[in-house]
Amino acid sequence: MPDPSHTLQEITDPAPGGEGVRRVDPNVNGADAAMQRYADGDDAAFADLYDALAPRLIGFLHNATRDRGVAEDLMQQTLLQMHRTRGTFIPGAPVMPWAFAIARRLTIDSARRRRVERRIFSDAAADDDQVTSAAAAAMVNADDLLHARRLERRVQQRLAALPENQRSAYRLLQQEGFSLKEAAEVLGTSVTAVKLRAHRAYEALRAVLREAGEAT
Amino acid sequence: MSAALRMRVLAAAAAEASPTRSEIKRRGIFLGMIAAASGMGAFMIFAGLVSGGTLVRLGGEVAPQQHLERSLWLVSTTAGGALAFAATALWLALGRGRSMLGRSRRWLLYGSVLIPIGLLAWKVGWSMAFGDEMMAWPERLGLRCLWLSVVVAVGPLLAFVAMRQSAPLRPALNGTVMGLAAGACAWVAVDLWCPVAYLPHLLLGHVLPLFVLAGAGALLGQAVLSLRRR
Repeated sequence: MPDPSHTLQEITDPAPGGEGVRRVDPNVNGADAAMQRYADGDDAAFADLYDALAPRLIGFLHNATRDRGVAEDLMQQTLLQMHRTRGTFIPGAPVMPWAFAIARRLTIDSARRRRVERRIFSDAAADDDQVTSAAAAAMVNADDLLHARRLERRVQQRLAALPENQRSAYRLLQQEGFSLKEAAEVLGTSVTAVKLRAHRAYEALRAVLREAGEAT
Repeated sequence: MSAALRMRVLAAAAAEASPTRSEIKRRGIFLGMIAAASGMGAFMIFAGLVSGGTLVRLGGEVAPQQHLERSLWLVSTTAGGALAFAATALWLALGRGRSMLGRSRRWLLYGSVLIPIGLLAWKVGWSMAFGDEMMAWPERLGLRCLWLSVVVAVGPLLAFVAMRQSAPLRPALNGTVMGLAAGACAWVAVDLWCPVAYLPHLLLGHVLPLFVLAGAGALLGQAVLSLRRR
């Protein structure tokens, strides 16, 4: 779960031009190189691919499912799907959008199978004891901590209530650091549509913050 | 991230064989040959049964005392143009550009709309330029062309889907374009064999199979290409 200060900062201060927060991730190039070697037949490269992809996939899947066990299972399925189709890998193609698109598709399929899509994608019932230590350290007193927890819970609940495509656009841009183009690729839509979906998510979350500000 | 999870995933991958790039390339060539052989084989068998083995038919009796003959130039122009459309459709259906996620929705939608329109417009345009070629030929409804198109395209369509293996995004739309590509290839063969350019005949015998194949491709794509948990 993202810490409240991180969430607040990103919601209220999106990157200039709506381009999303672009973080440099050393795993990206590592994943591309590992996949390249793996597609060429170097079986040992799968371990490198796992190391480069698994942490980010787990984070994304855990955010989507709120269930560690399901997230781990889907991460395994994602990597096995990449393993099965490694021979079709296009030289020079970016791995991350592919991996995340597979992960998202498998998550949706998994949710449909269990007929509890809303619950699967829901971030509801945010665990009170999961406010990160960084956030907790920043709290001056118990009232602030309580307020932050409530606020975070409301933000998470609002995020969970968003349509899946808006929530995914927000997460890919804000939490995974994807560019608009990469997010559009993962979601199978245009850059304009991703901008619109993310904008709607920002608006919804800003409304929560505004309400919280007025209440205090 | 637990070490046990890592070991489990690596072990699962090691236990399941997966083809490398060179193996996939060989498989693609094999499937391409299967597609071509099945399409041409079906065409020759059908033509052998219906028209005594004549693969290129230039004309026939439109009505008593009325004979229609296509010029070789017209045949090569219409079939050659159709071949160019088929090549474009194949490029769209089988290529993935520089992304592992394949062509964008926009490209696939444009292809789905423009391929049938382009094929029909090309055929009608050149046939109209030759005047009599568009004359009414009510005895030829187009049912034989409909069957020929579907029979010729089925093998290539299955081969195309097998080549692609999976499509994390838009599996049905990818399948649709594969169906249209197979149909466009069949159009070339049918154009050589069928001398009729009467518009109702073209719509029933030549255009309708494109939509039948597109629909079959969509169903096949959704069933085979979409990702599911195993």
